[in-house]
Amino acid sequence: MSGNDINRRDFLKILGWSGVGVAVAGCDRPTTVTLEEGKEEVVAYLQPEEYVIPGVGVWFASTCQQCPAGCGVHGRVREGRVLKMEGNPDSPINKGKLCQMGQAGVQGHYNPDRLKKPMLRKGGVLDEVSWDEALAALEQKVGPASGLAGDRFAWFTGTVSGHQSVLLSAHLAAMDSKNHFIHETINNAVVRAVNQDMLGEAMPRYDLPAAKMVLSFGADLVGAGASPVHFSGEYAKFRTGSLRGVLVQVEPKMTLTGGSADLWVAIRPGTEGVLALGIANQVLLGDEVKIAGLPDNIRTLIAGYDVEKVAGITGVTGDRIMRIAKLLKDRSPSLVLAGASVEGHAHGYQSAAAIMVLNIVLGNIGKTILPSGSSPFPQMEAKAGGTRDLLALADAADKKALDVVFFHGSNPVYTAPAALGLADKLKNIPFKVVFAVHPDETAMSADLVLPILSAHEDWGTHMGVYQPEQKSISIQQPLMERLYPDTRGFGDLLLALLKARQVKEYESFADYYGYLKNAFAALPASVKGDAVSDEDFWGKSLQKGVLNIGTVAGALNPKMVEISFPEFKSDAQQYYLAPSARLGLWDGRHANLPWLQEAPDQISKVVWTSWVEMHPATAAKLGVKEGDFVKVTSAQGAVEAQVYVYKGIHPQVIAVPMGQGHEEYGRYAKGRGVNPLKILAPVTDAKTGELALYGTRVTVAQSGRREVLVKLMGSETQLGRKMVGTVTASVFDRTEGTKNVT
Amino acid sequence: MAVPHRRSSRYFLMAFAAMVLGIFLAASSAWADGSSGVPNAVPPKGEHEGKNVEQPIEFPHNIHVDINKINCMYCHTYARRSKVAGIPPTSKCMGCHLVIATDKPRIKKLTEYWEKKEPPRWKKVHDVPDFVHFTHEKHLKRFVFDNEGMSVDRVSEVCAFCHGEVKKMTVAHKVKPLNMGFCARCHEANKGPFDCWKCHK
Amino acid sequence: MSLDNILTNWSRYRKGAEEGGFHEYEHQWGMVVDLNKCIGCNACSVACYAENNLPVVGEKRCGKNQAMNWLRIERYWDEPDLAPYEAIPTANVDAWIEGNPPAKKTELKPSMPSSYLPGLLEQDGQSFEQRVGFDGTKSEFQDFGASFLPMMCQQCHAATCEPVCPVAATYHTPDGLNAQVYNRCIGSRYCSNNCPYRLRYFNFWSYYEDAWPEPLHMQLNPDLSVRDKGVMEKCTFCIQRIRVAKDKAKMEDRKVIDGEFSTACVQTCPTGALVFGDMQNPESQVSKLWSYHQVERGKTKQNKENKELRGYRILEGLNTDPSVLYLERVREV
Repeated sequence: MSGNDINRRDFLKILGWSGVGVAVAGCDRPTTVTLEEGKEEVVAYLQPEEYVIPGVGVWFASTCQQCPAGCGVHGRVREGRVLKMEGNPDSPINKGKLCQMGQAGVQGHYNPDRLKKPMLRKGGVLDEVSWDEALAALEQKVGPASGLAGDRFAWFTGTVSGHQSVLLSAHLAAMDSKNHFIHETINNAVVRAVNQDMLGEAMPRYDLPAAKMVLSFGADLVGAGASPVHFSGEYAKFRTGSLRGVLVQVEPKMTLTGGSADLWVAIRPGTEGVLALGIANQVLLGDEVKIAGLPDNIRTLIAGYDVEKVAGITGVTGDRIMRIAKLLKDRSPSLVLAGASVEGHAHGYQSAAAIMVLNIVLGNIGKTILPSGSSPFPQMEAKAGGTRDLLALADAADKKALDVVFFHGSNPVYTAPAALGLADKLKNIPFKVVFAVHPDETAMSADLVLPILSAHEDWGTHMGVYQPEQKSISIQQPLMERLYPDTRGFGDLLLALLKARQVKEYESFADYYGYLKNAFAALPASVKGDAVSDEDFWGKSLQKGVLNIGTVAGALNPKMVEISFPEFKSDAQQYYLAPSARLGLWDGRHANLPWLQEAPDQISKVVWTSWVEMHPATAAKLGVKEGDFVKVTSAQGAVEAQVYVYKGIHPQVIAVPMGQGHEEYGRYAKGRGVNPLKILAPVTDAKTGELALYGTRVTVAQSGRREVLVKLMGSETQLGRKMVGTVTASVFDRTEGTKNVT
Repeated sequence: MAVPHRRSSRYFLMAFAAMVLGIFLAASSAWADGSSGVPNAVPPKGEHEGKNVEQPIEFPHNIHVDINKINCMYCHTYARRSKVAGIPPTSKCMGCHLVIATDKPRIKKLTEYWEKKEPPRWKKVHDVPDFVHFTHEKHLKRFVFDNEGMSVDRVSEVCAFCHGEVKKMTVAHKVKPLNMGFCARCHEANKGPFDCWKCHK
Repeated sequence: MSLDNILTNWSRYRKGAEEGGFHEYEHQWGMVVDLNKCIGCNACSVACYAENNLPVVGEKRCGKNQAMNWLRIERYWDEPDLAPYEAIPTANVDAWIEGNPPAKKTELKPSMPSSYLPGLLEQDGQSFEQRVGFDGTKSEFQDFGASFLPMMCQQCHAATCEPVCPVAATYHTPDGLNAQVYNRCIGSRYCSNNCPYRLRYFNFWSYYEDAWPEPLHMQLNPDLSVRDKGVMEKCTFCIQRIRVAKDKAKMEDRKVIDGEFSTACVQTCPTGALVFGDMQNPESQVSKLWSYHQVERGKTKQNKENKELRGYRILEGLNTDPSVLYLERVREV
């Protein structure tokens, strides 16, 4: 198909059987059903593409944009509308599978509360304006004539990758600014820093199937982690086959991954690193050769953590520690992972480093932790974010160091702890521009809101934050014509911004589509495979949706770092707050998707609201039961929600899930539940400067109110019936271990 | 621009191949047989007093089918590969009417639509409730392509079971009741499936 | 007509079952759920919402058990572990904490030497364990994680819902599925009362009025109906996908190929815990799994040669003869 702007979107422009209540049965609402002749309209295509057959679904490949994992998807398109997402089997990341967030992507696209027109703040109020007016305002503030340049301009985004990232960097260079803040609340920034320091690579590859045991310290592999669908598939491989892997999960609050553990161990928050050293101590017991091979400081450190001391600090009983150590010794190679609950403390880096030490002691490097190598196109790789940049933005705004900030793909006004005072500090930035699909809190506090196309309407290329063995670029193409005429592609806008600064370099590209097509033509022949021409290569790439780009081999060089822990003190009156992440609402960005609001939390089964998780002993101490409202108070504020009692949490921990408590964000999210991020203390990890999400202390008090906690489930137990049968692994090994049954 | 995923293109090819084969077989057997009537197809009973519907363009089916002998499936091309028969795209009308009868008022009206790049909004005449899933594709296969002695040229006789003698009409109007009894009678006579979930889901 | 069908089918089934299995189906769609792989992530459930036009009913109606989740994931806690919590008498919390543990004692979890008791939460001279009534041999935590169980209509061959329908709106298809015909249903709800799995969902409200505010309704799948108030509905094993696949196969004069299509839940399952296919086809993955695990249809109790194989059907003893085979989860340590 030709590349001009009208033709390339033709397949949807043809409109087809669109509108409410036309030919297509089922999409119609029953009330408008009429069998009387001449009541309903049927509109033919003006000029259909040959592959468009009314009544027959067609699949187009694209990329999921619901989280930074970058899964490949197939969108089912019928009569010009995208109906359903399915995984793209060609994607090495998700291999044809998809999680609930990916499934719900269509609801973000068809969301009734989408931004439809640009908005400009006039006299303190956001008013709908035309694109001409919006762009004129933009030109006035950031155009070449404005004189704006240098670090007084900044981009504030979520994780970016692919050509979007390339263009963003180019725009920053054109603006002569180095200020690119990248913010993700659910991140593994501290672990990445540890990996960088200890292995020489921030995101090595974890070979789960090769591990005979995984000891996970709060790493929510199959839940709200770096690449949920990918690791779910890897988990399945890890749990099947001739030697089924054992999963031991150590964490203060049970995550989704913890729910599938063979052994789930509650640990006192912040002491995970100590436990890792305690286990290392047990593993090394009697192994003089290994002990001698360790650097002096690490040897002394490990020697200092004998079982009894570690049990005292961590609250994990001694026999557990010894058993885990024995399992690790018996089941080599293993894999020890650190997750959000490890990272989220002032000494998060130290804990994560101690966990990596355990990996080194166990000899896992090179066996289950492998070099991911580098990509031939490093400029396309995902720039993963953290919370440090959120603090940096607040700081820069406070110092009045910024004139104009462009926001995209992140909602800092919602995710920033109240203690940061971000909403107030942002007022120091004279001109805030938000490129957004939905009216989130950041958009509603901006000076200029530019409504962009949804992920299902736009072009793009992406690379997932976690790349499996086969590195790939995933291609995003529109699955349907734009729903609202006054929305524009983010890439198109980015290109327009660049053209305003560097006409010569970018004038040859009519739009982002043209830019991408050109970029694909310019790729080296090695990735083009058997394509006979650039046009053929482009067509094949779109059809497949994924471009395997190969890997430049790398190597890991394990290195020890200095580790020291603070003194752990116990304070029975104060609880640790765990702002737990959910696979579903994520960091709150999916709270406006009704499917995900009604999809119960996997562990508590609560829907539509927030809740406070506590241990039965804690509940008994507070005199509360499920459904009672309690007030969770930190030095920075308080939230009130209903109690959910269960045993998958440490008695000293109170967990309030992230995702709810929106003040804006449309009808499904606004005013629902509470946002635990708001009451976080401004504690940071000493080494990396990342916000210590799990480092806040709170008190809990009954507030007297009580309502039934709305959960989607039957009974808590199986009531003696065989609903979920359980067998031991020895039976599994005997009957299925050697056979490949499925 | 988007290229359909191979699943769909494969499907398309197969459907097309099956269609070509079907036409060939049907045509050759018709040649050999040459008998009249439609074997194995008993038109279901029931009549319905159709209303005359005002359409944006008063389309003369009789001229196209009866006089010019155009096959139903030439315009309603989706019938053999989808559950819906489809209204022909405007481009298909213009394929002929760029040169044919361009001076006629109805064609002028059509050309206006074409130039505005806006398809006419036709009124629906044959409709079934949303909980009924009728598929043209399968019925055409059964009664035309798989039907020995049925020439594909005479597809209008098959269409007429449910749509009436459209070739004698100008604007099509409903003549059959298209209710469940109507369907069931034909399924009974032709040993069609009686599983509820065939049509309702 | 349909009533006749149902009575005939029923007696045929009964007869067939007595003769060692009913095998007269054209296809026999079946499923296998490997609980060893299931992580309870909910992807299947949301995929079902997307595929089958399931309405989102809102918090209030969820609270009244009116949610329309055709496929739900049950989460169970291990029974012995829950006892102390459930047994806490609200009025006697103080007494309970002060060392009068609940009367109901259950089996104990792995032992731990008392010398390692952390004593972290020591208060008033009592350790945490003593205060909450654990005697040092019982775990106060959820040692084995949770148990997740995806529950969709089991498509029973001896379905308890079918014979009680006064209007024969629910019947057995030649595909071996348990069908629900919406336009026939009068909403007596007998079927759901008779379902031992509680997998039938009733439209108490006209959800189509507000569950899909414009333009959300554009996502609705045109291949199946949007149900109205007063109608019972349930998992159909994605009948619309089955129909498309069968029609396609028929148009191409061939049989449906195993793996050619699957239901929405199976297609999306990130761990591949769900398998779907035709059990009449001995080469299909489901058939192989059923026979490997030595589970036979038409039985209320399996007589396995190898008793250790993991396959079982839920509440099989009720003689419902479900089409869904579950494989026991595996736990260690």
